[in-house]
Amino acid sequence: TGGHTTEILRLLSCLSESYSPRHYIFADSDKMSEAKIRSFEQKRAETFSNSQFTLDRIPRSREVRQSWTSSVVTTLYSILYALPLTYRLKPDLILCNGPGTCVPVCISALLLGLLGIKRAIIVYVESICRVETLSLSGKILYYFSDYFIVQWPDLKEKYPKSVYLGRIV
Amino acid sequence: FRFKDSLAEDLRRADLVISHAGAGSCLEALEKGKPLVVVINEKLMNNHQLELAKRLHRDGHVVCCNCSTLVETLQSMDLSTLKPFPPGQPEKFALFLDKVVGFQ
Repeated sequence: TGGHTTEILRLLSCLSESYSPRHYIFADSDKMSEAKIRSFEQKRAETFSNSQFTLDRIPRSREVRQSWTSSVVTTLYSILYALPLTYRLKPDLILCNGPGTCVPVCISALLLGLLGIKRAIIVYVESICRVETLSLSGKILYYFSDYFIVQWPDLKEKYPKSVYLGRIV
Repeated sequence: FRFKDSLAEDLRRADLVISHAGAGSCLEALEKGKPLVVVINEKLMNNHQLELAKRLHRDGHVVCCNCSTLVETLQSMDLSTLKPFPPGQPEKFALFLDKVVGFQ
């Protein structure tokens, strides 16, 4: 959604051509991300000739301030969509930055890894808005990601296994 | 205006930006080097949304106030004390990621 999309596109802005094809996954209720992504990819295609990307939607895992128990149900529902999608895409690398959408995708990837089908590297970048506390997605994925990046030093202190590169968006 | 696709043009022409504490709004204004007054409405905002505004204020990048003190703040603030907010560096992320995946 919104801010997350803007941030992740900035993260992608300096990546080399080798990071291809790019598969974007976002929530079905998200109206604005598709346009932002297409615009980004269009610009990118001006510099890199071999620009390949796809767009996929999955049900939104959780609304803002949705209760715990109903969040588990809606997330499980999203996993039903995310799992076949992740199986089909078989990504080498998953890059995510916090929207609820990333949890079902990462869980799917972990499952595929456990089953020996495909092992993806999971890189999570917490939003620049998170100065002192982690988002809910962050709290979950801190334990399940391969690399967990934070953008403020206070978080690096609180979460020692995280990586601090300074501000990167 | 209600919802524009982009405020970039308006921001470019502005001398001062007065904004709510939303991260996107704050960062957009700061990146364009505009002096920024952040108005915090504690009743509306989630606690976490205030984190960035508070930090920016603490580090001297923005002027902060709330709805009731806005007028007084605008009259008495000294924008020259605001520190510039350097842009983020996605190149650092790219370097890090290249090492992680083995493209070197």
